[in-house]
Amino acid sequence: MRLSVTENKVVICFQCQKELQPIKTYLSYLGHSFYAEIPKCPDCGEVYISEELVKSRIAEVEMQLEDK
Amino acid sequence: MNLETKTGNIQDCLQNQAAFCTAACPFGLDVRDFIEKMQRGAFNAAYRLYLNTVGFPGIVSALCDQPCQGVCPRRVTDEAISLRRLEAAALNYARNTEPNNYNLPPKNKKVAIVGAGLSGLACALRLASRKYDVTVFEHSNRIGGHLWEKLPPEVFLPEFERQFMHETTTLRLETEVTSLADLPFDAIYVATGAGGNDFGLVSDPNGAFASTTPGVFIGGSLTVGNTSGSNMQALADGLNVVAAIERYLKVGSMNQPRETLSTKLTLDPARVERSEPVYPADGLAYTRDEAILEAKRCLRCSCDACVRFCDLMHYFKKYPKRIAEEVELTIHPGTLDGNGTIATRFISTCNQCGLCKEICPMDIDTGEFLLQNHRIMREKGAMPWAFHDFWLRDMEFTNGSAAQLARKPAGTVQSKYAFFPGCQLGASAPQYVTESYRWLLGQSPDTALMLQCCGAPAEWAGDEKIHAEVLAQLRENWLELGQPTLVFACPTCKQKFGRYLPEIPGVFLYDLMFAAGLAPAIAGDGETVSVFDPCASRDEPELQQNIRQMVDLAGFNRQPLPLEGKQAACCSWGGQVSTTNPRYAREVVSARITQNDLSYVAYCANCRDIFAVSQKPVYHILDLMFGLHGPNRVPPTLTERRNNRIRLKAQLLSEFWEGESPMEPEKSPIKLTIPPEVRQKLSDDTLLEPEIARVVEHCERSGRKIQHPESGNFSGHLQIGNLTYWAEYHPTEDGFVLVRAYSHRMSIDEAVSDRK
Repeated sequence: MRLSVTENKVVICFQCQKELQPIKTYLSYLGHSFYAEIPKCPDCGEVYISEELVKSRIAEVEMQLEDK
Repeated sequence: MNLETKTGNIQDCLQNQAAFCTAACPFGLDVRDFIEKMQRGAFNAAYRLYLNTVGFPGIVSALCDQPCQGVCPRRVTDEAISLRRLEAAALNYARNTEPNNYNLPPKNKKVAIVGAGLSGLACALRLASRKYDVTVFEHSNRIGGHLWEKLPPEVFLPEFERQFMHETTTLRLETEVTSLADLPFDAIYVATGAGGNDFGLVSDPNGAFASTTPGVFIGGSLTVGNTSGSNMQALADGLNVVAAIERYLKVGSMNQPRETLSTKLTLDPARVERSEPVYPADGLAYTRDEAILEAKRCLRCSCDACVRFCDLMHYFKKYPKRIAEEVELTIHPGTLDGNGTIATRFISTCNQCGLCKEICPMDIDTGEFLLQNHRIMREKGAMPWAFHDFWLRDMEFTNGSAAQLARKPAGTVQSKYAFFPGCQLGASAPQYVTESYRWLLGQSPDTALMLQCCGAPAEWAGDEKIHAEVLAQLRENWLELGQPTLVFACPTCKQKFGRYLPEIPGVFLYDLMFAAGLAPAIAGDGETVSVFDPCASRDEPELQQNIRQMVDLAGFNRQPLPLEGKQAACCSWGGQVSTTNPRYAREVVSARITQNDLSYVAYCANCRDIFAVSQKPVYHILDLMFGLHGPNRVPPTLTERRNNRIRLKAQLLSEFWEGESPMEPEKSPIKLTIPPEVRQKLSDDTLLEPEIARVVEHCERSGRKIQHPESGNFSGHLQIGNLTYWAEYHPTEDGFVLVRAYSHRMSIDEAVSDRK
């Protein structure tokens, strides 16, 4: 499962004050587990998923898994 | 639970039943297929189909007495389809009328045919094309038999010539067969015509065209006689006997009965719109255009009521048998990846409105079939939780302490009635319930109140365990109230009680109002409206009539809708399919509200609010009776619906059970302002404001949040139950303003990802 993620705008982890980087992150749904490169704080691991991504690729993958 | 797929009576489906004309045709011509080709001017394709079915198209199109016309539904409305003229047109305009030339090895079997009439020659043609060694014996000096009396030889002789052009047969003219025993053949077909020699053969009723003598078959006018239409029957016999002869040659048995075509098809004559018959301008034969026009008059009769009426079957273009197959595959998926579960979403997209059964001539209840199998899927854990999660939580909330109430009026010992408004009436507008209850108390002061959900969301989710719990609670509360008759405001509630708690008697609020002569508070002033019957009112004709009379009394004019009464259609709410298949739900709403430009009068709060969200003006019947709202009232958001239920309970307690105060709702420690446009968007996305407030609260308390340097906004997420919620918000002087919120179903496995 691939979730290609391109976040153009800079986002910063509030606690670590570090810029989030695309880092391999595990996701799961309906018993399926997979990973994607998602903006993540390199120190504490705080993640960010934009509404744009949720409404597009994530919704698509969810639908595919529901129909699988 | 039994995990076998439940198929109900879907095998009775008439989808594949022959058209009336096909069933009446001696050849069983697939007229639907033939006409489809003719309608698009594919004369060659139509001709090939015709040729393969009748053997000698040039003869049949000239001689057939058209039994199809006696059964064509058009014969009553205008005029039966002129199939013979269309067949002649196929012959006239086909690009290539030559027969097929089959390149097959010869078969080592010899067949004798006695009689070179239409039946014998048809049999000879078919057997020869399959490369049997065929000999035709004819006592006279010419072929064609009785055809000489019916057609000019220049019509049928060239046709025989043409159809036999690629075949080799031995023709023995002027050869009288006197005894079959002398013929050294593997099989014999006796087709000596009406009044011909039957060689003392006895027909065997157990086999098609069989005699009691092994290897000897009889048919054609010899058995059917020389009657009207006997030529065509004789020809058809000659074609059909081939299968029996081949079976005998291969396996030696003659006991396969004859296949007869019949049909169980029914057609509502009211559906047949007048269409003028097309006659050939030259009085003889159709031109191409005339043929196409006449073909277009054909109804291509088939049973398609379900795909015309049922939104689901119409949208997916699937008939019950196909649905049953796909559901079976979904419940028992094979081992190959991707070949199963094709109907998971489909099963969960049924509105459960019951229209499929209503309009099916065989009473096939596809909706019930899907519900049964939905339960199996749920039991197996194979139905995605997301499809019904929100609505099950909504039901839990309604039946929880914040909104639930089951009470008798103070000091009442025995209640005759208990008002059961259902979960959505008060959610839509609390006054609907407070006004109605006040009126009921005026009629019958001992009337109790039950604010509770009827369990429909659990039924629709296929969750039998939760459903049973809800039903048990309902029953217990009803017993505690002293077994009153429930007064329903929602037709779905009454329907569900009737099915699952039949011991509990129920009446409709509106029937009581009508019987009591309650005068409507709104004056319609002659405005024309349409009453929208909710699907759950399908079997409540009295209610449907009373509502109409109340609308009339209020001074409105009424215009009927295409689907109403027994054929009431779902507003899209049923089955709570909007989460499972939002696009489908939108299509259904659109189909319902575009039936006309008038305001509707609904008597189900969901119908009203769903249409009103899509800008359709809709009154609730209680708006008319109590003068509460106009038809353009903006329906509450999902969050407001919950707040309305909390408010309703509080109002009722303070008005009717003085001194009782409801539980105070939990106050959030942060102040989150949600602008109106964001509120509506949350509701559209099935998100509740308190859940989003919890996300912001979590971010602020834990400091786990993301900063957006450009806007100064913060973002953060929190998984609550199954869903992961995100909020983006902006700090203000005394709190926060919500910028956006959204959710996803997949969860972020933070423990695993942190290990990186």
